[in-house]
Amino acid sequence: MNRKILSCAYWTVAALAFAGVMGLIYFWTPFAIDPNDGKPIIFQKILYFHLPVAINTFLACTVCFAGGIGYLVNRQTWWDDLAAAGAKVSVVLCTGVLLTGMLWAKGAWNVWWTWYSPRLTFSFMLWLLYVVYLIVRSSVEGSQRRAVVGAVYGLIAFLDIPLVYLSARLLPDQFHPADITLSPSMKLTLAASFVPITMIALGLVFLQYRLHRVQRGEVVGPLTLPGLGMRPSLTGGAA
Amino acid sequence: MTLAMTQLPSILGPAMTADAAAIPVRASGLSKSIESRDILRDIDLEIPHGRFIALLGANGAGKSTLLKILSTLNAPTAGTLDLFGISAAASAVKIRRHIGLIGHQTMLYHDLSAMENLVFFAKLYGIADPAGRAMELLTQLGLANRANDPVKAFSRGMAQRVAIARALLHEPRLLLADEPFAGLDAPSTALLERLLTELHGQGKTIILANHDIAQSLRLAQTAIVLAKGRKVIDTHADQLDAGAVLASMENAAADAADGGVA
Amino acid sequence: MTATLNQIAVLAAKDLRIEGRTRSTLGLVVVLGVLIISVLGFGIGTQPQLAALGAPSILWVAYLFSGVLCFEKTMATERQDGALAGLLLAPIDRGVIYAGKLASNLILMFAVAAVITPVGVLFFGMDLSAAPLGFVAVIAISMLGFAAIGTLFAGLMSSSRLQGGLLAMVVFPLVLPLVIASTQQVLSPGGTGLAILVAFDAIFLTASWIVFELVLEP
Repeated sequence: MNRKILSCAYWTVAALAFAGVMGLIYFWTPFAIDPNDGKPIIFQKILYFHLPVAINTFLACTVCFAGGIGYLVNRQTWWDDLAAAGAKVSVVLCTGVLLTGMLWAKGAWNVWWTWYSPRLTFSFMLWLLYVVYLIVRSSVEGSQRRAVVGAVYGLIAFLDIPLVYLSARLLPDQFHPADITLSPSMKLTLAASFVPITMIALGLVFLQYRLHRVQRGEVVGPLTLPGLGMRPSLTGGAA
Repeated sequence: MTLAMTQLPSILGPAMTADAAAIPVRASGLSKSIESRDILRDIDLEIPHGRFIALLGANGAGKSTLLKILSTLNAPTAGTLDLFGISAAASAVKIRRHIGLIGHQTMLYHDLSAMENLVFFAKLYGIADPAGRAMELLTQLGLANRANDPVKAFSRGMAQRVAIARALLHEPRLLLADEPFAGLDAPSTALLERLLTELHGQGKTIILANHDIAQSLRLAQTAIVLAKGRKVIDTHADQLDAGAVLASMENAAADAADGGVA
Repeated sequence: MTATLNQIAVLAAKDLRIEGRTRSTLGLVVVLGVLIISVLGFGIGTQPQLAALGAPSILWVAYLFSGVLCFEKTMATERQDGALAGLLLAPIDRGVIYAGKLASNLILMFAVAAVITPVGVLFFGMDLSAAPLGFVAVIAISMLGFAAIGTLFAGLMSSSRLQGGLLAMVVFPLVLPLVIASTQQVLSPGGTGLAILVAFDAIFLTASWIVFELVLEP
């Protein structure tokens, strides 16, 4: 019962924060002014979603990385569940990054897709990396083997991210977004938008983690942080 | 006499003594679970030098898994294992020089000849004169004239003999054999029995997992019976007879059939 | 150190001897690579400007598919009759087993590249007169990184029944930086492409060696 109350409270706060930020963006935050022609850039407001979602994608990727390393060192199943949760959420969030990025591209350069924007290309490669993670997990038989393969892939993929970023920057960069200086009110909105997005991201990770634990037959208490407060499993297997 | 005994350590040097005096196998609380199935539960073993042990049990009792753990091929999920005084968890690489394993599978490369296979493994084990040692073993096992034929042309019995040669290349002090007689014809079986007895006579410690209870009790000094991952019998071979061992294995099977959760 | 190098040499020699005996891998892989280039050549070859620019990418497609096939097959030799267990029983670090496999994979891949690359250069009229050695160096360094990742995952997934295409699916996204950096480097020499390639190799060779210790099970 406790867990349900806490969960409701958490998501209500997240939803309210989200609504609050939406209101802020719509009613209060000024538009960015295009330095070239003095006209407001409407689609620029996508930044307030794009950036927090992108940062949280990295957060989720880091969770996946940590879970993988933890499993390889420790071989306790909750590490593996954490890694899987991180990867799933990172794919969801990365899809958000791609979609907001494409909307931005449409607004700024009137194309849905281009290979000439390193940021877009990078987001796509990142998305590919973690989608493959999920497919690999579902293709390997045996939960221990799956955990090991997932851990190694998650580790290597994470180490790959900076290289992916650097190589994406090598590509021709025709559509560089116009440099916009953010006014204080815009910076405030940006900071504010991190709150609901991060809450949603962390909440999703925890939900996924809990789902995996329950599927294994482990019980997860209301305030259980991954790895703490474990109760004996129902199946009697190794925890 | 006593004086000579106490002088011994200083002659041999401390490291030597530790090694020579170390028990080949000391295991405590070994457990192994694979995919949430408990294969081995809480096995304690203490095997002194030069002992010939028969490891018996029904299919699925955990014999192969135990041998794989003792050979450092797999790690246990729980418990400690010391081989020749060295912890298996800490420095498995060092221990492997002293262990030979004959498994179900021959662990040989089909496209290479018997000689090439043995020379390859001999080099990995750091043996001086790999070719000479390989030839020596092949001759001992009666395969000298087939040394250069690819292993894929060998019968099961001959391939098994090459596998035995592979296990003996580095003169291991502990020999583990996992049902080596499976699929062997009568001459190869007799050869292998003779070989095991001879190796035992040379002071090697041998653990033989086998299905043939009578054969095992004949060859070995001690019999250990596993049932569903637990050690149920651990006693001198001549105090047992095949009937008793079979009965205990059948009891374990009956327990399982009753749906008893261990 | 020399002992380790010796062991790696013994391992690689064994793989290459088996390969020489059966010749099962090299022929297949080379022909596959040439076929890929040919198929793409028929499509693009009619437009010369496109061809010259697209050539590095096409070569990479050929390398990737041939390479993955090569890695799968060299690992498959360890599956016959539990041969991998024989290796794991030997008093060598698992990282050394990785290095040995990597060495044999590299040698095979270089042999494959030695055939496919000239074919590609010929079909697509690539102009390498500016820096021919540079081109070879870029290919070589990229091969190293590709083989590092491929060997790791081939070994990792050798015990599970390898569904067709699984190794390719795993390796391709990971080596995208290699593909991008090397094609950019070839098309416009200078710039940080080479640095990225070297960094890739260094990071993943180290990581794979360490990881192999932890994950190889018979």
